[in-house]
Amino acid sequence: MSGAAGVRQAPLPILRRALTDGWRGLLGWTVGLAGVALLYLPLFPSMASPELTDVLDALPPALIETLGYRDIGTGPGYTQATFFGLIGFVLLTIASIGWGAALIGGAEESGRLELTLAHGVGRVSYAVQSAAALVLKLAWLGVAAWLIIRAIEGPAQLGLDAGNLWATVAAWVGAGLVSGAAALAAGGLTGSRAWSVGAGAGVAVAGYTLQAVANNSADLDVLRRFSPFDWAFGSAPLANGADVGGLGLLFGVSAVLIAVATLGLARRDVLG
Amino acid sequence: MTSPAISTHALRKDYGRHIALHGLDLRVPRGSVYGLIGPNGAGKTTTLRMLLDIIRPTSGEITVLGENPRAGGAALRRRIGYVPGELRWGTRLRGEALLRHLAEISGPVRAGAIHELAERLDLDLTRPVRMLSKGNRQKLGLVQALMHEPDLLVLDEPTSGLDPLVQREFLALIREARERGQTVLLSSHVLSEIQQAADDVAVLAAGRVVAEGPVADLRLASVRRIHAMLAGSTADEVRSALQSTPGVESLEVADAPSGGLVRVSATSRGDIDPVLRVLTASTVRELTVEEPDLEESVLGLYEAEPQAPRRRGRP
Repeated sequence: MSGAAGVRQAPLPILRRALTDGWRGLLGWTVGLAGVALLYLPLFPSMASPELTDVLDALPPALIETLGYRDIGTGPGYTQATFFGLIGFVLLTIASIGWGAALIGGAEESGRLELTLAHGVGRVSYAVQSAAALVLKLAWLGVAAWLIIRAIEGPAQLGLDAGNLWATVAAWVGAGLVSGAAALAAGGLTGSRAWSVGAGAGVAVAGYTLQAVANNSADLDVLRRFSPFDWAFGSAPLANGADVGGLGLLFGVSAVLIAVATLGLARRDVLG
Repeated sequence: MTSPAISTHALRKDYGRHIALHGLDLRVPRGSVYGLIGPNGAGKTTTLRMLLDIIRPTSGEITVLGENPRAGGAALRRRIGYVPGELRWGTRLRGEALLRHLAEISGPVRAGAIHELAERLDLDLTRPVRMLSKGNRQKLGLVQALMHEPDLLVLDEPTSGLDPLVQREFLALIREARERGQTVLLSSHVLSEIQQAADDVAVLAAGRVVAEGPVADLRLASVRRIHAMLAGSTADEVRSALQSTPGVESLEVADAPSGGLVRVSATSRGDIDPVLRVLTASTVRELTVEEPDLEESVLGLYEAEPQAPRRRGRP
């Protein structure tokens, strides 16, 4: 029968469909991130001035610490504060949560998961391929961000180290992945898109808030340990290079959340 | 192969406190078309989803094509074609691309099979799926279930939204599937469809099988409506004779306006012979016995469902 097969049974159909179905969205996010980078980073030469230092000195220290603007006078500090630590982080997190929530919770609510799982796809395989799609899309955005920033780094006089930029991009992708994996896990456990978005957003907001609070109080410094945002950026990788421990935590926790998504989906009823 | 395509034993499904199925026993012979009918909430969709391991039983046993659905997993599901009760495809993909994706995750699809089916069902595969009408989305559901010629077809309300012409084509496809040796399990509340397509039928109500057997037998065991014009007897004589006849309900006996005739109308449940004997004691001038459709017999079974010990008292 194999000779007459009209459709080749290529590997990883769920992963490929998740990528081909979502290419428009991925392109949109890429353009959005490029836009943000192009909007903020070229402003650095005009910002790195004595006037800016004066403005920053006039601001309440708590605000500076909360926004992570302490090192905004340097190229790496500026890139971190405006792109990786703020709007770039927000955009990546929203994209990641959206994908994580759609892959299981959204597919289940739309009835698509029922039909997919009625075919020759196992629950574990579905969850793992979905997670792989999430990782690949985020990795794409990471590579795109690296290329865009490298392209404007010279003219914008940011003075970034290429290796440190990789380390920071990896941390940024990892921080996005934790939220997306949390959304995926909630989808695997509940099948609800709303719970997925809630879980992903909860992780992102809590992570940001914990490190912001810790920045303002030495007594509360312990809170950093629970913040994916701090795991990613706490050691200022753009200035200081890769924080292997932090990256390990980001990707380790993501792996655990993906395992939770997989076991959750494998063990329960799929309802539409 | 004499083992059934599907068998369930004491299959039970609870959703929290709600019991969707109370110990279902089903046996679908290989190569047959088996109908599952019942009102909404009877447990039809729950049963079908359990065959595909989409949901899992609270207790009891299921065997599909010789395997437990959970243990059989993806390999077993490649041998099944499934149309879910509610088809919602929210995708930008065109029909053809969607079917190609689904073909990758079902059993092997013969070259040209997708286009042949689409042509027979009059489905345009070039349009984006989410722009399709309800009927066309349903056709897409049928194509994806049939395209790999699976050993077992599990179809949940497969003709909802289809126009009569396409329904007829669907019935032809089902007959062809049976001729090839495929087994079809079909749930429906369109009873004419079951009558035309199915060999055997099980009637579900409130999570139980209330009747099962060959479609023809189910009709015999059921209700008929009788209208007659009699001569040579008085209305009182006929009435008292029929009132003591078992299975007669909704009896109306009256003098016809002219000619000294007696007009009788009644519903007979079960054996019809005693009713005819009473009628033929008079001179029968007119007689119509309406063969019941499945709907009426099924409704009769719902009513007979012994949820509570109350039954309609006979006169």
